[in-house]
Amino acid sequence: MIVEGAVLPIDRANVDTDQIIPAHYLTGIETTGLGKHLFIGMTGGAELLAAHPHASIVVSRENFGCGSSREHAAWSLADRGFRAVVAPSFARIFFENAYNNGIAPVIVPAEEIDALLRSATLRIDLEREELVRDDGASVAFTLDPLRKQFLLSGGYMAFLASKIDAVRAWEAAR
Amino acid sequence: MPQSLFEKVWNAHVVEALPGDNALVFVDRVVAHEITTPQGALEIERRYDDRLFDPKRIVAINDHVSPAKDTETAIQAKVLRDWAKRHGIVLYDMGQNGICHVVAPERGYVEPGMTLACGDSHTCTLGAFGAFALGVGSTAQGGAMLAGCLVLQRPKVMRVNVTGRLGGGATAKDLALHVIATLGFKGGTGYVLEYAGEAIAALSMDERMTLCNMAIEAGATTGMCPPDETTFSYLRGREQQPTGDAFERKVDAWRALVADRDATYDAEIAIDVSALRPLVSWGTNPGESVPIDGTVPNDASEGSLAYMGLRPGVALRSLEIDQAFIGSCTNSRLSDLRAAADVLRGRTVSVPTIVTPGSQAVKRAAEREGLHDVFQDAGALWTHSSCGPCLGMSMGVLAPGARCVSSTNRNFPGRMGAGGRVHLASPAVVAASAVLGRLGSPDELDAAAAPAVTA
Repeated sequence: MIVEGAVLPIDRANVDTDQIIPAHYLTGIETTGLGKHLFIGMTGGAELLAAHPHASIVVSRENFGCGSSREHAAWSLADRGFRAVVAPSFARIFFENAYNNGIAPVIVPAEEIDALLRSATLRIDLEREELVRDDGASVAFTLDPLRKQFLLSGGYMAFLASKIDAVRAWEAAR
Repeated sequence: MPQSLFEKVWNAHVVEALPGDNALVFVDRVVAHEITTPQGALEIERRYDDRLFDPKRIVAINDHVSPAKDTETAIQAKVLRDWAKRHGIVLYDMGQNGICHVVAPERGYVEPGMTLACGDSHTCTLGAFGAFALGVGSTAQGGAMLAGCLVLQRPKVMRVNVTGRLGGGATAKDLALHVIATLGFKGGTGYVLEYAGEAIAALSMDERMTLCNMAIEAGATTGMCPPDETTFSYLRGREQQPTGDAFERKVDAWRALVADRDATYDAEIAIDVSALRPLVSWGTNPGESVPIDGTVPNDASEGSLAYMGLRPGVALRSLEIDQAFIGSCTNSRLSDLRAAADVLRGRTVSVPTIVTPGSQAVKRAAEREGLHDVFQDAGALWTHSSCGPCLGMSMGVLAPGARCVSSTNRNFPGRMGAGGRVHLASPAVVAASAVLGRLGSPDELDAAAAPAVTA
């Protein structure tokens, strides 16, 4: 699976979930339609999105997605058409949520970020685990081998559903 | 093979090893609240015949916006309510509810050695009991409700050995802020923080919950405290715990849940709390904290300074505040309210101050001690329990640029309202600041004017 598109460069560390989508917008019961609130909580967020209207890949710095467990952060990115976030590190819960919503959390060395922020587009090959900048330079990365399958086949819940009998047997023998 | 506390709990719950460093981990308890549960519950209803693995393992609590503030939040509460009723899930609703991380333990739903998941990042609070308790997304929580398990990457374990005795006005909140400042805002990422040492053993359950509550603010998967007599006596007689011999047999099993002497850790840090003094955050993440008598650091990040309207070298004590808040899953339990009341008794707040108990049970206990009179005599607003102003989702939202001293856990930009500025501190420091109208500590009040208090 190839993710290819324009970059939304967020040149800052610690983009927390309150910046991605403030709690004020967590009042729904559905996972769709949240894209209109994306990055409203981030200083300059709306302007940044307006300047990159077709972006589908976020590039940012350390500790992306820190803070709340709200999956709304991943839902709002997905609803807006984002398919990948590239950063040197992610907060755990966002990292899991991204995989479960078709957004690849791509970890690359911190020293690669400056050049990636300057790249107008990226081409990310999820199967080969390699991304290519607009100047042709490439960077290798590693995806979680299990969650990569959730990403390619969209199946976290389906995977767990397939385990119910095994879990019941384990519980009975406990 | 010697094991850490975390390893004992983890190993007892691994159903199956999975590719990578992942495992299928059995979940003993799911705590479900109205903001993050409906999405997973609806998915299960639509695609998996509305089947749940075991409704008895789930406890539901309307906590974030209760009572509802508008139609949307009323629907969230109704979805949780209808779903709980349909499946026979116990629900704590208006009148008996509060913040889920306060209600679940006070009712006895959390115990040593348990695995617990909830769609809320501050679920790490419950690691105070020696449980492996972690925040997850709605999909993962839904998976735990559907299949009784989670896919988890095995975390590393960091032993945080804490020696000395808290004194000099320092509290568990200050220890929590100190741990984050020591590790850095993301320094705990990928780790479980396994607390140990004499200073931890000396903490009450309320204090351990405050400490573990902020493990996520260092990026950690969760925090854990070794269960001991303090834990067992907290649990004895709680609503969901058995009585008599049945309870004592559980205690005997829980006693094994301590780290083995020769257990090895992926990382270890040592903290001596003897010299710890009250801390307050100056920036836009909880790691950006300094002692209350300190100044904004010279190497402060530009972004944080701009958002907070500060410059390096400014004394924290010189910062005037517009609002004070005592509450949240960090600091809204009875002992927190007592600490705040001890400062406010016989004094008057000089800025709008909100006091929100963590549960209706805490509220009633506080009122039996007359704490509601102390707060209201001081001029503070005494509310029903809820997450309240902490996340700017219901009442008490800050105006842009307004500065609030708060006993909560997050000072992110916009956390308590767009443009609002949050300074994190202990309940006693928040109360003292509310009286002073600026950031300050209780010892400044003693130095000023002795209040007229009758014994």
